[in-house]
Amino acid sequence: MPILIIAVVVIVLYLVGFYNKVKTLQVHIRASIQEIGNQLKRQAELIPNLVESVKGYLKHEKGIFEDLVSARKSITEAVATNNPEKIDQSQQLISKVLGSLKVIVESNPEIKGAQVTTDLMNELRDTSDKVMYSRRTLIDVTADYNTAITTVPGIWFASIFGFKEEKGLITPLSGEHLEVSAEDVKTPKISLN
Amino acid sequence: MQNVYEQVSANKTRSDIVIILFIGFIILAAYAITVAFELDPSVLAIAAIFSIVSAVGSFYFGDKIILSLNGARLADRKEFFDYYTVVENLSLANQSPMPQIYVIDSPAPNAFATGRDPEHAVVCATTGLLQKLNRTELEGVIGHELSHVKNYDIRLMMIVSMLIGSLSILTNMVQRNRFFGSRRRDNDSSINGLLAILGVFLLIFAPLIGKLIQLAISRRREFLADASSVKLTRQPQGLIDALKKISSDPNALSSASTATASLYISNPFKDNKLASLFSTHPPILDRIKALESML
Repeated sequence: MPILIIAVVVIVLYLVGFYNKVKTLQVHIRASIQEIGNQLKRQAELIPNLVESVKGYLKHEKGIFEDLVSARKSITEAVATNNPEKIDQSQQLISKVLGSLKVIVESNPEIKGAQVTTDLMNELRDTSDKVMYSRRTLIDVTADYNTAITTVPGIWFASIFGFKEEKGLITPLSGEHLEVSAEDVKTPKISLN
Repeated sequence: MQNVYEQVSANKTRSDIVIILFIGFIILAAYAITVAFELDPSVLAIAAIFSIVSAVGSFYFGDKIILSLNGARLADRKEFFDYYTVVENLSLANQSPMPQIYVIDSPAPNAFATGRDPEHAVVCATTGLLQKLNRTELEGVIGHELSHVKNYDIRLMMIVSMLIGSLSILTNMVQRNRFFGSRRRDNDSSINGLLAILGVFLLIFAPLIGKLIQLAISRRREFLADASSVKLTRQPQGLIDALKKISSDPNALSSASTATASLYISNPFKDNKLASLFSTHPPILDRIKALESML
């Protein structure tokens, strides 16, 4: 009889520990998704400043303003839904704008040399790092979570509490970047006129 | 290999053991001396107060004391943009709170972290380090320091270096007394008696100091922190380059002492013989080799 009581106590203690661990990880997952969104927002808010400082050089690049507006809009929406997939999509929009801005900065020594631009580029680089690190945190936490509920003994109890596998960031395991299209296989032709 | 939770609990236990050993040892030594030489019991009380105040003070104010001894000042975001933001970013990846950030004005490239737990942690780098390293290398070094923060190495190393510090205050006092005493030897024999006691005291402390250092400086600690740093940054090359730059730099850090040497990422004394006797750090070449195997 005492053995039975001890066994029940041990199992209950384990279940409490397991439940709390998984719940904590769920909170971390949500927090890190939020963090990615926050950093993307910050990035989107920094870009207009950079645009302002290189305005004079943007005459031929009108498209950049429209891209910027749509990228910021999609980030605000994505952050509101807290959906990693949408956040990821809006990040791609932002990267596109950033990419073309960088080209402009790099190709114009006058802008590149200005202190304001240097500071802004540093801030943007830092924000990109922050996005990268918060994405990685999401990946790590999701992996911890999925490991906890899909390994023995967790897997025996996960369904009792209704714990399901989290997808986390989809990009690392699937998506276009892993697919090789016919275009990619072609040898690039370079012409030097 | 230990995981981070095992490291944390091992470090907490060791910190407790160090504190208990320290208080117990000083009180015991004072008791033995009081009994043997029939001194006033107030000696015992003073010893108890000294040891408890040192231990509690080390725990709560060790970080502040270490920072002021090293002449550190708060780093602001504007002046040290890369440093500040790298700490910010890696704390995010480390999933630990943002520590306070300090700098020491010195051309010798070096860095340390201290504090009693991740919520009260401090990261400190020399201006030399910040000038000589690029952002990727700095990330390697800061990642190393933040892993010391996360696994509570900082608590153990802080307490040990503080207690070694207060023991060395004691031994300094004794040495000064001996110096004065030897001049007065002819006319005051009671002083000689006291000196004999203090000499015994010193003899007792020597192995204790050795034991403390041994507890704090498991060389594995540095390898572990290097490995965790790479786990944070995913760029072994950054830390390798940083270690190479740090070790090939000719400047030694003048503000470091034997007590605080173990805190730094690389031995602050360079080729000093006394320091290599204590050998607080594994040879940089071995660390680089370990890191290169991760490339």
